[in-house]
Amino acid sequence: MEDAVFISTPDNVTLEFELAGLGSRFCAYLIDGVLIGVLIVAVVVAMFFMPSGLYFFRAALKARSTWLASWNFALLIFFVFLITWGYYVLFEGLRRGSTPGKRKMGIRVVRDDGLPIGFREAALRNLVRAADMLPPPASLLGGVVMLFDPKGRRLGDMLAGTLVVVEKFAAPSDSAAAAAWAARVEQGRSRQALTLPQGVISANQIGLIEQYMARRYTLPPVRSATLAWQITEPLLPLLGEDREALVNRPDRAGYCERLLLQILEMAEGKPPKPGPAPKQRAQAALF
Amino acid sequence: MPTAQDKQEQWTRFFPRAQNILKRGPRALRKLSGSELTSLIDDYQALTADLARARSLGAPRATVDQLNRSAVAGHNLLYGSIRRPAVFLESDWFGSFARAVRRHLGAVTLSATMLFAPAVATFFAVQFYPSLGYDLVAEGFFNFDPASAENLHNIPSLARPIVSSSIITNNIQVTLLAFGFGLTAGLGTTVLLVFNGVHLGSVAGWMMLHGKEKALWGWIMPHGATELLAICLAGAAGYLLAAAIVLPGQLRRSTALKRAGGDALIIELGCMVMLVIAGLIEGFVSPSSIAYSTRIAVLAASLALWAAYFAGSGHRRRKSTGPSAEAERTQKRTQSIL
Repeated sequence: MEDAVFISTPDNVTLEFELAGLGSRFCAYLIDGVLIGVLIVAVVVAMFFMPSGLYFFRAALKARSTWLASWNFALLIFFVFLITWGYYVLFEGLRRGSTPGKRKMGIRVVRDDGLPIGFREAALRNLVRAADMLPPPASLLGGVVMLFDPKGRRLGDMLAGTLVVVEKFAAPSDSAAAAAWAARVEQGRSRQALTLPQGVISANQIGLIEQYMARRYTLPPVRSATLAWQITEPLLPLLGEDREALVNRPDRAGYCERLLLQILEMAEGKPPKPGPAPKQRAQAALF
Repeated sequence: MPTAQDKQEQWTRFFPRAQNILKRGPRALRKLSGSELTSLIDDYQALTADLARARSLGAPRATVDQLNRSAVAGHNLLYGSIRRPAVFLESDWFGSFARAVRRHLGAVTLSATMLFAPAVATFFAVQFYPSLGYDLVAEGFFNFDPASAENLHNIPSLARPIVSSSIITNNIQVTLLAFGFGLTAGLGTTVLLVFNGVHLGSVAGWMMLHGKEKALWGWIMPHGATELLAICLAGAAGYLLAAAIVLPGQLRRSTALKRAGGDALIIELGCMVMLVIAGLIEGFVSPSSIAYSTRIAVLAASLALWAAYFAGSGHRRRKSTGPSAEAERTQKRTQSIL
């Protein structure tokens, strides 16, 4: 299965959903299983503490039954059945695809068009659980189907047309810089091609540089250094830099990053600072 | 043109606002005033445009995530109350079960064959080869002594609620298996139906062989029609799913499954209701001491009722035509959108 699905809405918005993994789904399943057990025990205990339940208890001790106790026990059987089969249907139907276990694991069921599920989907995907659990209780069939499906659906999900996705609760990060960027983009001042005396750096190339600069500290240092070189190398002739002099510099990555920053500043319309002094370059050639 | 500050305000106010309305349910959206709704939609459109730009221009992951989260919330909010043609919202929910069954008579026939053909076969097999009975019949029936000549069980009235409740839950569980196992390309459904058929036929044959058939029929008749019909229909629901997997036709298998799901679910839910009725009869009427002729009457009545329901219910009434009817329909459609 893939990591994420992209859903295009009718108004041409592409929404991204991160798919829930096998692990978090299994953990949610375990938590819900425990909760179902607890609920059943609670119902049984509650029945014994109800007046009629005590009646049943006494009747059972005396090895005779009464009609109240009989109805009570009949209801108990019914409630236990309702809990085992209805737990998922009720929770997912009422709470927009979320059960306590799923909530704990931060996952949720959504329709494959990105909208919240209703009772129809909740009933379909949960009433056919028996098939996904084959051979019981190993759930091999559902698990294997899930692994091979690109959207990570078990059979019940395919039937109901649902996906299990990661729900992100995290509060929005500080967005001042991003908002400023977006405003600038909307005004059309970002990512124009940069014309230099020696040639043109395309908007896409500038985009690449921006992405690199935003992500460079999240990458492993070796990878970051390699990328910096790969991005800078084709631009060297435009910047009037000498490739041969640069190849063997020990601080090549740092030097490349300075060059890239300089390009971005020029692209944003700031007056270009004087480039790295020729002396430095001469020094580099000595190494 | 919005300034950076406008933009940030728009971003930060939209998500909590959308979440808040979502939490309060679809009614909260309807209660918004015109200007509130307009500003909500404006914010949503601005946000989704920002999202598209952020994605295609390669904004940092955190920004895309944040915008995506807001867009999902907005999409859920603004489009979440438009339902796909939903089964439960059909105005004629009572007739929808009968209609679904009529639409899939082929699957019902297949399911009935898988249940009754083994039943008839084993019934006669046990007649002609009584030793087979020891392999097929459940052990409890070897020396089974009917409560009376006309009834297998005579359950004391105090135990009847418990019997009824456990029979209902057990039978519903069986139909849920028959339904769900349709996803194993129908193999599981078939196994379930054949096993139940063999059990039914062999016990009936065994009782016949030992001259206790009247007790057996007397027991089965009051609830049998409803119960066996429900099991057949649940099998049919399972075969609907199987057909979508095995014979999807021009559709993709997942699409075919999604389409089959609606009718199959209606049939399965209808079966549950039927089994509650059957279980109440099996718990309270069948084990009582009513006369044999009354049992026949109950059988006849239940057969007639189900026949009438499945044949007659849920036919769409001819709608009045003309401008007023058209206007009414348009109005309904508009209402169902919001």
